[in-house]
Amino acid sequence: MAARAPETLSYGQIREDLFRPLSPFNSKWIFTCLAAFVFVVLGLVAWGFQLHDGMGITGLKRPIFWGFYVIDFVFWIGISHAGTLISAILRLTDAQWRKPITRAAEAITVFALMIGGLFPIIHLGRAWLFYWLIPVPNGRLLWPNFRSPLVWDLTAILTYVTGSVIYLYLPLIPDVAQLAKVNQTWRKKIYRLLSLGWSGSDTEWHALERAMKLMACVILAVAISVHTIVAWDFAMAISPMWHSTIFGPYFVVGAIFSGIAALMVVMSVIRRVMHLERYLTWRHFNNLALLLLLMSLLWLYFTASEHLTVWYGNEPSEMGVFGARVRGPYAPYFWAMVILNFVVPFILLGIRKLRTFTTATIASVCVLIGMWLERYLIVVATLGNPRLSSAHAVYAPTWIELAITAATFAAMVLLYMIFAKMFPIIAVWEFKPHPHEDD
Amino acid sequence: MIWLIGEFRKHDELADAIRDLRGSGFTAEDIEVFSEEPVELRKGVLDRPSKMSLTAVLSAMAFGSLATWFVYYAQNDYRLRSGGMPYFSFWSTGVITYETTMLGAILAIFGAFLWESRLFRRRHPHAPIPECPPNSMCLRVHCAKIDAEIGASKMREHGAVEVKQCD
Amino acid sequence: MTIDLDRCTGCEACVAACHAENNIPFSTPEEADKGRAIHWIRVDRYYEGEFPDIKLKFQPVLCQHCEEAPCEPVCPVHATYENPEGLNVQVYNRCVGTFYCANNCPYSVRSFNWFAPKWPEPMQMMHNPDVSIREGGVMEKCSFCIQRVKRAKQDATEDKRPLADGDVQPACVQSCPAEAMVFGDLNDPESRVSKLAASGRSTQLMAELGTKPKVFYLQRND
Repeated sequence: MAARAPETLSYGQIREDLFRPLSPFNSKWIFTCLAAFVFVVLGLVAWGFQLHDGMGITGLKRPIFWGFYVIDFVFWIGISHAGTLISAILRLTDAQWRKPITRAAEAITVFALMIGGLFPIIHLGRAWLFYWLIPVPNGRLLWPNFRSPLVWDLTAILTYVTGSVIYLYLPLIPDVAQLAKVNQTWRKKIYRLLSLGWSGSDTEWHALERAMKLMACVILAVAISVHTIVAWDFAMAISPMWHSTIFGPYFVVGAIFSGIAALMVVMSVIRRVMHLERYLTWRHFNNLALLLLLMSLLWLYFTASEHLTVWYGNEPSEMGVFGARVRGPYAPYFWAMVILNFVVPFILLGIRKLRTFTTATIASVCVLIGMWLERYLIVVATLGNPRLSSAHAVYAPTWIELAITAATFAAMVLLYMIFAKMFPIIAVWEFKPHPHEDD
Repeated sequence: MIWLIGEFRKHDELADAIRDLRGSGFTAEDIEVFSEEPVELRKGVLDRPSKMSLTAVLSAMAFGSLATWFVYYAQNDYRLRSGGMPYFSFWSTGVITYETTMLGAILAIFGAFLWESRLFRRRHPHAPIPECPPNSMCLRVHCAKIDAEIGASKMREHGAVEVKQCD
Repeated sequence: MTIDLDRCTGCEACVAACHAENNIPFSTPEEADKGRAIHWIRVDRYYEGEFPDIKLKFQPVLCQHCEEAPCEPVCPVHATYENPEGLNVQVYNRCVGTFYCANNCPYSVRSFNWFAPKWPEPMQMMHNPDVSIREGGVMEKCSFCIQRVKRAKQDATEDKRPLADGDVQPACVQSCPAEAMVFGDLNDPESRVSKLAASGRSTQLMAELGTKPKVFYLQRND
């Protein structure tokens, strides 16, 4: 661990440290990128098969019409909450320790959204007609049905993507302007173009800081609404254990929970790989670990409320789903979820002696798996146990779904690696406390 | 008209210099501070008035109401009964109103940022941009040739490390 | 429509007739096992009592054509909506396959075309010309044989007479050997179906959900 707090490092040192990982393309980087790329291509091939042959080659069946794709959609949109929470909340409360982690988090948001946003298209029976959801005058002489939660979803995700891209881009401008000065390779042109001719005048700084403050407020409101609307895709249906008023906040908590976990995993990777030990210190991990612990407890609270009310209410159709989850075919997943989302983080992070870099990362990986299982249980257990018992079924994916799911994780790795190679993963100008902050 | 560029190391000195310059007739438009990090000056020293919040609110309201009007129009343009719901109701489309309102705010903030930062509408497109080393702040003053001497001496008086003159 | 459960023998003639009338693709036992079969009407079985002393009850379940159908508002592209006659219709050409309608149907009566439809020889020569073949990737379900409703209306208009009760018979109704099913206009209080629906034997499937189904099941009250 670094002896000096990163804030006390000289400006030149910081810049050198953070710009250094950008320059050489070493063989490890290229190899990992290629490996990720192969997985992405495999996923695209699988999708090609699905488009060509029909949805029948997936494991979906009547009545389980939503499977891996919708689970992945909810999962990735959940991950995308990493950036917004860390960045917007911490920015609004002016928490100083946020500084080295904001950009890493905002980048997760943008890429997770891009990936998550693909799933509603992938899961369509006729994916090539997805644009029929967009209200443009068309040959069918028909507008979309604005009463459908899927159209709400479309609006919400478009807003969120727009907002989070701008939110990532704005604080990137000063750094890109610096890079345009320093860098002498082919990238110089890209940097200069992206910097919009930033010169560092006080007019520009004023506009930037004001814009960031306002964006933080707006993006926070949007982020919460987006995951609420994702939850409403389920809650608006009258299916047992979907039609629940608690779903909005339950999903938001789950999203923030998995978002923090994703951020911790990414942070521990870039810390090692890019040698940023001096910048991503124990302080950041510790604070995030405590946040993760808090969210774990909140998640437990919501899960308990959700299941207890169903059990006590003892309504037959809901009990069918409840039984399938707790002691039926999905019971192993359910209890694995409880262990991964609550027991593991609670022990590893709750006991101070056990809380280290490694255990925090392990707990985060567990939470990611656990949260994926949570969405699996929500989507599949309900659909497999509809009100009429004659239609009951159990779902298992085929290689198509597995390949596409694996491809999205590979796509995340690929996008993130390219981003980290192009731009400093820690905001350089924001990192230093302003020399005159106490003024 | 020429440009004076003075480099400062200390924040207070910079603030005093700006105050003094403005006291002797230089306007806020003539003076600009360049730095690698944001420099925060006390209120009244070199304010940059902003209408960003107002723009955001107005644009949000405009987007929200336009979208709502459009949804109302579209739902009534081709009347299809759907699940016994009314053709238009805030219950069923309020979410869209909310999201488009937020979209309006986001786009307006970005637009206002581009406008107010003057990145694409510089007052003097060919003015020299000072090369400002880290941890220092450069003051750029736009003035007539006759005033250059006064400006330069005022900057030096308040502790400018170096004052240059450019055309 | 009314379905008399006391008369239903579970022969599934309605299912076969429906397949023939509406160009529904066949499926193999393996495919049906994977949940790939398409049925617009199915016969649910309920067992009462303990083995071996059991009583078997049959209930044909088809689209209930709900007045306030949960499947309709969730469709983003208006592929399913309530037409002016009160039928819950499915427009195949509009469907993009979001699956949402099927997920929100409490009766699980919607089927999806997992693949482009296929028929064994020579069945592909025997399609009903009045019913369109559905493309792979769209949702489909019972239409109350809307083609027959349309045809009957046309014939009545040509003959310059009002549509009489019993002029329209969907394939399932026509083929039911026990005459358990009756189809007609619920808006006409004098029609046979209205009278049966108003009788004390009538119930609706999951009426408590507020979907206002237009299929009434007749059953002895005991």
